[in-house]
Amino acid sequence: MAMSATNQLLPLELIDKCIGSKIWVIMKSEREFTGTLLGFDDYVNMVLEDVTEYENTPEGRKTTKLDKILLNGNNITMLIPGGEGPEN
Amino acid sequence: MQSQERSPTEFLNNVIGRPVLVKLNSGVDYRGILSCLDGYMNIALEQTEEWVNGQLKNKYGDAFIRGNNGIKSIL
Repeated sequence: MAMSATNQLLPLELIDKCIGSKIWVIMKSEREFTGTLLGFDDYVNMVLEDVTEYENTPEGRKTTKLDKILLNGNNITMLIPGGEGPEN
Repeated sequence: MQSQERSPTEFLNNVIGRPVLVKLNSGVDYRGILSCLDGYMNIALEQTEEWVNGQLKNKYGDAFIRGNNGIKSIL
């Protein structure tokens, strides 16, 4: 049975609820980010703070700490609210 | 404490004139002073350094990066 319109949560509304909290971003390539979401726009470009970047290579996982970033939304595949990242 | 840099647009307006790191999809990184950028995420940098695999490869006084190179992040 179809949910009523008031109960529906649109994808962008879900991301909007995540502003100010931790989020886990998985890219098309072998790359992931975790950080605090400060904001995003219609393209789902995101501004993240206290970021950890995970680069998965055949030699293992490389992590980089970044202070504050603008992440291009073009290559994002998945967003996980409250995500603690690939290490847990 | 209120952050002044909420949305991507506000963030970019705040970051113009500051030192930035631009990471492309190819893995090449560019460090420089952000002079300006547009809606395609074309980027103009000053005092640019080109880093590949953690090694400094080149220096440019002024550099233009076309937005289609898959700019991944700026900080």
